[in-house]
Amino acid sequence: MIILANIISLTIVFAVPLMLVALGGMYSEHSGVINIALEGIMVIGALCACFVLNAFDKSGMGKVHPQLAMLIAILVAGVSGMAFSVLLAFAAINLKADQTIGGTALNIFAPSFAVVLTWAIQGQGQTTIQIPSWIRITQETFGLEKGGNTFFNALIFKYFYLTTPIAVILFIAAWMLLYKTRFGLRLRACGEHPQAADSVGINVYKMRYAGVLISGFLGGIGGIAYTIAVGSGFASSVGGYGFLALAVMIFGNWKPVPILGSAVFFALFKVIAAYNSSIPFLPKLDNIKDKSSLYQMLPYIVTMIVLIFTSKKSKAPKAEGIPYDKGSR
Amino acid sequence: MSEDYIIEMLHITKEFPGIKANDDITLQLRRGEIHALLGENGAGKSTLMSVLFGLYQAEKGIIKKDGQEVQIKDPNDANRLGIGMVHQHFKLVECFTVLDNIILGVEDTKHGFLEKEAARKKVMALSEKYGLRVDPDAYVSDISVGMQQRVEILKMLYRDNEILIFDEPTAVLTPQEIDELMEIMRGFKKEGKSILFITHKLAEIMAVADRCTVLRKGRYMGTKDIAGTTKEELSRMMVGRDVQFSFEKKECKPGETLLSVKDLVVPSKVHKNNAVKGVSFDVHAGEIVCVAGIEGNGQSELVFGITGLEKASAGSIRLCGKDITNASIRVRSRDGMAHIPEDRHKYGLVLDYSLEQNLVLQRYWQPEFEEHGVIKAEAVRKYSEGLIDKYDIRSGQGPLTPARAMSGGNQQKAIIAREIDRNPSILVAVQPTRGLDVGAIEFIHHSLVGERDAGKGVLLISLELDEVMNLSDRILVMYEGEIVGEFRPKDTDVQELGLYMSGAKRNTAGKEGIAV
Amino acid sequence: MNKKKSLAENAKFVSILASLISILVGLLLGFILLLILKPSDALGGMQAMLGTGFSSLDKFGKVMYQAAPLMLCGLSVGFAFKTGLFNIGASGQYTMGAFFALIGAIVLQLPWWACLLLSLLGGAIWGVFPGLFKALFNVNEVITSIMFNWIAMFLVNLLIANIPVMLASAWGASNSDRTAALASANPGAIIPKGGLDAVFGNSSWVNISVFITIVVAVIMWFVLEKTTFGYELKACGLNKDASAYAGINAKRNIVTSMIIAGALSGLGGGTYYLAGTIQYVLEKSILGMGFNGIPVALLASSNPIGTIFSALFISYIQVGGAAMQPSFSSESTNIIISVIIYLAAFALLIRGSIQKLLSRKKAKEAES
Repeated sequence: MIILANIISLTIVFAVPLMLVALGGMYSEHSGVINIALEGIMVIGALCACFVLNAFDKSGMGKVHPQLAMLIAILVAGVSGMAFSVLLAFAAINLKADQTIGGTALNIFAPSFAVVLTWAIQGQGQTTIQIPSWIRITQETFGLEKGGNTFFNALIFKYFYLTTPIAVILFIAAWMLLYKTRFGLRLRACGEHPQAADSVGINVYKMRYAGVLISGFLGGIGGIAYTIAVGSGFASSVGGYGFLALAVMIFGNWKPVPILGSAVFFALFKVIAAYNSSIPFLPKLDNIKDKSSLYQMLPYIVTMIVLIFTSKKSKAPKAEGIPYDKGSR
Repeated sequence: MSEDYIIEMLHITKEFPGIKANDDITLQLRRGEIHALLGENGAGKSTLMSVLFGLYQAEKGIIKKDGQEVQIKDPNDANRLGIGMVHQHFKLVECFTVLDNIILGVEDTKHGFLEKEAARKKVMALSEKYGLRVDPDAYVSDISVGMQQRVEILKMLYRDNEILIFDEPTAVLTPQEIDELMEIMRGFKKEGKSILFITHKLAEIMAVADRCTVLRKGRYMGTKDIAGTTKEELSRMMVGRDVQFSFEKKECKPGETLLSVKDLVVPSKVHKNNAVKGVSFDVHAGEIVCVAGIEGNGQSELVFGITGLEKASAGSIRLCGKDITNASIRVRSRDGMAHIPEDRHKYGLVLDYSLEQNLVLQRYWQPEFEEHGVIKAEAVRKYSEGLIDKYDIRSGQGPLTPARAMSGGNQQKAIIAREIDRNPSILVAVQPTRGLDVGAIEFIHHSLVGERDAGKGVLLISLELDEVMNLSDRILVMYEGEIVGEFRPKDTDVQELGLYMSGAKRNTAGKEGIAV
Repeated sequence: MNKKKSLAENAKFVSILASLISILVGLLLGFILLLILKPSDALGGMQAMLGTGFSSLDKFGKVMYQAAPLMLCGLSVGFAFKTGLFNIGASGQYTMGAFFALIGAIVLQLPWWACLLLSLLGGAIWGVFPGLFKALFNVNEVITSIMFNWIAMFLVNLLIANIPVMLASAWGASNSDRTAALASANPGAIIPKGGLDAVFGNSSWVNISVFITIVVAVIMWFVLEKTTFGYELKACGLNKDASAYAGINAKRNIVTSMIIAGALSGLGGGTYYLAGTIQYVLEKSILGMGFNGIPVALLASSNPIGTIFSALFISYIQVGGAAMQPSFSSESTNIIISVIIYLAAFALLIRGSIQKLLSRKKAKEAES
């Protein structure tokens, strides 16, 4: 039973970054900009947030107000991801560049920059930034007594971080913003038919900037959420989660609720990959070495299979990837 | 000031790189009039209206509203001044509902959230008042072209615009729908709204407009009261010379059957239904058969099916007696089918290829141009220089000109040269004159008739009824994927065709065809 | 006639100029970054990056050695570009090529040329997927390629871990996290040096692969520019609908093009791991070589001959980057590379508009 609790809580903690980043990608694409730079954005967000956490740790404030420090770190992650995404927005919107190539540039830049910076700050060869342990939300955070290793305690408190409740809030906000507000309606119009949006006085460039910046914000937070989930510190990489989030977004048909579902689904595979030896109901496959590779490969294969069946009726925004040129209406 | 002008555009000049789209143009719109703006394709009508609507900024000239100079920097400014526009290509978001499209840009909100109830009431009231029937909750992708136009009109009315611009609104309508639109426009006039009506169709101007401003090649040619002018005068102003309205051609002497289509069914790319639902007809040597109909009634798919761009799901096609129903495009082309496509940029040319590469697009694989998989560059050059000469294709760098850098008329000439020079038995031409000026149109009409007189079969798909009446030897009317009537041009008129095109009448017995 | 020629040359000139500008801007930004991080060492770092490649014959030998796989990945990406496809999957194809080559070398004990052919095959198989998915199901090749990069990495890890003879531990070494050294497993699978080692001061790196690659580049140029096959592929890339209209089988061309692109990347993997100096380490993240094919192709405007030079350049600064340690991480070169890619994303556009402007002017003159 404890194992089940562990699996559930781990799945949640891994689903959080996937969902946030996929929602980010969704916003960018609904505005009409393909964002394959999510991986790089996550790296930058995680990098900045980790430095902030370390600074709080050194100053001692982290231990005194852990969750406040964490909240600040999360905001820093979002804002830095947003700042980084400006580079994509500028290339894609102002310069009408090829969005995939621009995104690829950012994806190569971010991890290299992270390594170079970490190296420069922490000294040569020190490429991993440690994450302080006080960021976890424990029973003590709520003034409760530290309980034993019960099902409930494992489920709630084993992997409980501030990123989880924030993700819940952001999910609801993202859904309402997209479907229930003037901004959302206009944003979606820009991704579907920018000429139409322009003809009714909507500034397509501004809306696309908004879409990319929101994806930068969510992507940055996703970066720190991923780093926390992995738990072994930040080594200038988010392990392909930005790309996996793209798959989650496509799998979720560019809609928030299905994205939530597919994020959980993909996270579950990740957890199985890590825990496969201790999960009783999985096939044993004793003859196979390096089973985690097998399980880690599965979500990608599943995505491809799903894409075969869904591509014909894909709900991808019609104008995504096409630079909007005011001259050509 | 004696005249009551609601909008004045004075001495407007707008340049694009290398071209003066508007050169010192003046247009004055009286309050409560229907004012036509007449000109050929490329005369600068759309540019002028885009300036008025704030999509472009003019380099020179001023715009006045009610005698006061105004700045129109974007569509929001235009909207604030009460200017609304129905664009030639509708500006509707397909996956949004009708209501969402109407409110887009002027949404009401409550506590930051969209509030649509008041908007729905207003839209319903407007739709009632002007007879513009729409379903506010339908998705735009599911409604007809006519209804989409009504949505565009409602967009203007919802914004309480009093100056209404209609950019070529009749291109997508049947003659009957055009009459309805005219009626709606007269209704607006009665309400005191002022209308700018962009068109190149003289009959419509004579029917509905009070005054008409004519443009030619970006220049202002004058403004006329409709009551005191004639079609002929307007067309002279528009083209700069006398234009033959009808076309002299030899008696049609149909020969053997070259193309035979039987019960052809072609699926649609857009929706689940079939776009072509069991169509049968023949095209004979030495005749021009025209398929008339409103855009979107399956003509494009019919052509896709015949030329092989889309696979037919049932029925058969025979080319010169040979069954080609399942043949590849290459085989059809080799066996004598030439195709002047509907969209020359999308299908007809590889815009980033040079002119010579485009001229061999249908024959680069023939032994004349290819040996052991390698292209014979010399032969290609010689051949294309020959075509350029023969068809007077003008371009900057001869065979090496990128197709993208050529004018629309010359691009179309290149396509026609390429297709006709292959000496096909059957020529499928889809809207070959769309977007071209009168000179180019005449050239193309002569080429088509020339093919017919040379004993080829021509299948012409056209939305322009004048073109249909002038060129064809037989007319097939297509409605909702079926052929609903077959006529000879001398036995029918535009009104009758219109009834068939709109589905109001259909001739089921016509399936057998007229005896040839 | 003269004017026609000058314009065509102008286009080439413009694109070479654009590439040089993006290289310069990339180096400049890289230098600024180094200055910010460690002002005292910045100049030395840049000197290391830009001077090392020519500092010794051995280093230059390494430049040549790394240029071969880079060139092949660049040709792969560029070839796909010409067909209108973005092959971001060069990395996965490269990985599969390496895996196939090593299977040939270690398990099947084949000679080096047979292993290279196997690497072609491995890459080609991995190129089939994005091609087929695009042609049959209209799935964007970028998405498929990204997914198959990861699948390739995990799959190769899984397979190598389960073929005990592949591991170094089976051949007398202690480590089981990498493949066997070819010197002990199958010296015949090492690509011959063809006397180059003597020329390059006994460099352990250099071998004939760079010449093989240059021949491949010339072949690719000929295919694209001179053959009907190349004419068809480029037509598909420039305008899918028009090529369908002309009776060109676009779907078949997409698949063929991706297979060829995959084979090129796969061969790149083969040339890298069959040099005998490097062992395949079980990876945790995707191999960067395939991604570096992107700047190689972009700098060369996808021209196969240009690829030879751009690959040598990228290889040169990578060898230099390694020499920047310990003051700076060797990843510094990747920052410069990313800037070059970023600029190239719209350099294509700038180039296009310059050309358009020129030719439009000419066209107007002739018509009037």
